[in-house]
Amino acid sequence: MPCRRRWPTWLRMRTPVSAADHRTVGELLADSDALARETLLDATPDHAPAMVRSWNQLVGSAAELWAVLPSAPDSPSGLDPMERLRAVGEAIGRSVTAGHWPGQGPTDEHLTQIADNLTRARHLVEPHGRHSQQAAPETQRDSHDLHGQLMHTLYVAAHGTAVALGARVTDLQHRLVTGERRRQPLAERPTALEITAAQDMIARFDGFERLAGAYLFGLPSTSANPDQVRQAAPATRLETALAAWEVQAHRTLANYPDPADLVRVARVQALITSTTSILTEAAARRGHIDLEVIQRLAPALEASQTAWSRTAKRWGELTSPASRTDPALVGAASEVRAAIAAAATNQTGWATVKELATRLHLPDAVKTLHLSVVASIDIAYVVRDTAADHSGLTAPARIIGMRAQGEAEIAIEQGETRYEGVTWTTRGQIAANQLIPLPEPARRGLINLADDVITTTNQAVAAAAQLHPSHVKAANRSAPEAHRGRSVEGLQIGRPHDPRLGGPRR
Amino acid sequence: MSRQHMDADTAETLAGVVRLLRRAAELVWAAVDADGAGSPRQVLGWGIDLAADLARNLLPDAILVDGPMPVGNEPAGLLRSAEQLLRRVTTPGAGTRLHALQAQVADLVKDANTGVGG
Repeated sequence: MPCRRRWPTWLRMRTPVSAADHRTVGELLADSDALARETLLDATPDHAPAMVRSWNQLVGSAAELWAVLPSAPDSPSGLDPMERLRAVGEAIGRSVTAGHWPGQGPTDEHLTQIADNLTRARHLVEPHGRHSQQAAPETQRDSHDLHGQLMHTLYVAAHGTAVALGARVTDLQHRLVTGERRRQPLAERPTALEITAAQDMIARFDGFERLAGAYLFGLPSTSANPDQVRQAAPATRLETALAAWEVQAHRTLANYPDPADLVRVARVQALITSTTSILTEAAARRGHIDLEVIQRLAPALEASQTAWSRTAKRWGELTSPASRTDPALVGAASEVRAAIAAAATNQTGWATVKELATRLHLPDAVKTLHLSVVASIDIAYVVRDTAADHSGLTAPARIIGMRAQGEAEIAIEQGETRYEGVTWTTRGQIAANQLIPLPEPARRGLINLADDVITTTNQAVAAAAQLHPSHVKAANRSAPEAHRGRSVEGLQIGRPHDPRLGGPRR
Repeated sequence: MSRQHMDADTAETLAGVVRLLRRAAELVWAAVDADGAGSPRQVLGWGIDLAADLARNLLPDAILVDGPMPVGNEPAGLLRSAEQLLRRVTTPGAGTRLHALQAQVADLVKDANTGVGG
């Protein structure tokens, strides 16, 4: 059941809807954008869980409309930018369905209404087909405008959801402190776990917002936004490979992955992070980046790379000789490796600064890689969900018995009593080195490692905020301390001054 | 060459290739860990992992990849052995995936002999 009052009319800017909906595609898109903006003004703590639950449906509807709009613009990467966002939306949806916070419950009326509008718009466009010579009159507008407007709706809605989540976190923290002070029964107080889960969700929506923003900022100029956007960068192999990789990683992880898949995902992310570090440093040496920024960023990227490498190593312990990697993942990873090798290495190791500057437009390449680091945060969340939920995880008894014992001892030291006196493997299992279901402490170890990746990568993203002035606000929100006290006042998303949208307005 | 129509000799040879590549990858990743963050050897380690995945995916499920750990502590030597074994697979009409694997391992041998992998 949708949650939120019906049709708020404070702005009176949406097209009135009669019993028979006669709105045009343009009106449906404009109404959706207006609804998205209303989420900002209605971003109260109570709305946040419902908004998260509605997110996958909204992104799915947007992706379906995007696919039928005439001549979708080629992104600089050559890969449909909506695919990336759809992968993230689906990952969030799966997490909720699996029972992670906020779990099942009411959906959000605003976001559901936007999704319905977009579905209605798709029905209007579809008969004409994206390749049809005779497009619907409403879709004859510059296709960049239509795609831009649709992307802008997602961009603002993601921001609105993150704001509502921020308010939720503040509210939960307040209730926790008050509950402790008044000695309320534990059952009536929020848990620290719930607060962390809501903070995690903020980071995921921040990532989504930045990916959508990257598309908007990359649009070529239109009459409506002559000064707001840069010229689209020429397509690069690296950009294409990274975008395809993110989508494939999400797909593989969604489909009962083998531990070998997790190893590959973590190794690729470590390599991407290393490459980001090398190119960012080269850009700094060439004067494209402030040295102060690189001093903060370099250690953060190093920590993220190390966390991904540790994750790969630990998942490697779960593999067996029979393990198989998803061939599609291998294909996408091969392309990332080849693109990185061609762009950033030479016969003896990493390419020199001079070589890098000759081969690449460093500022653009750095931006591409940092965007990939942003996207990797959501991949890390999916890795964590996999560690928590994948019921089919098994591991060879010898190594995992030792690992489970080690993790159990750490947990016992931290006050966990359930693991005291428990043995995780039998003698028979050890003797035969049998594959056994993953014991809980070993699973917990994998979750902790994913948490390390999330924390360190968020720090790297926050440190990189100044690489792209448009992302400063979003990245700053990722810092844990910024999750507190998030409010509507800090937002600068304005009303569209022209329906011919193109760039972000914030 | 499909997984279903693979003869026993070819399957055993490819299983040997998988073991060699996995051992070589293990050694390179150990070196990457020793190097610390940002090691350029990641590119080689990754390449070997991918080649091992390709080889593994050529084999039918029924073929066991288990076997003795290959002798040797030099990634370049293990890769050369894998390359030589792959040359033995001369099944008529061998698929493009096998040819891709042979080319990839040949490239890895070169990489392992340079500063990146050595």
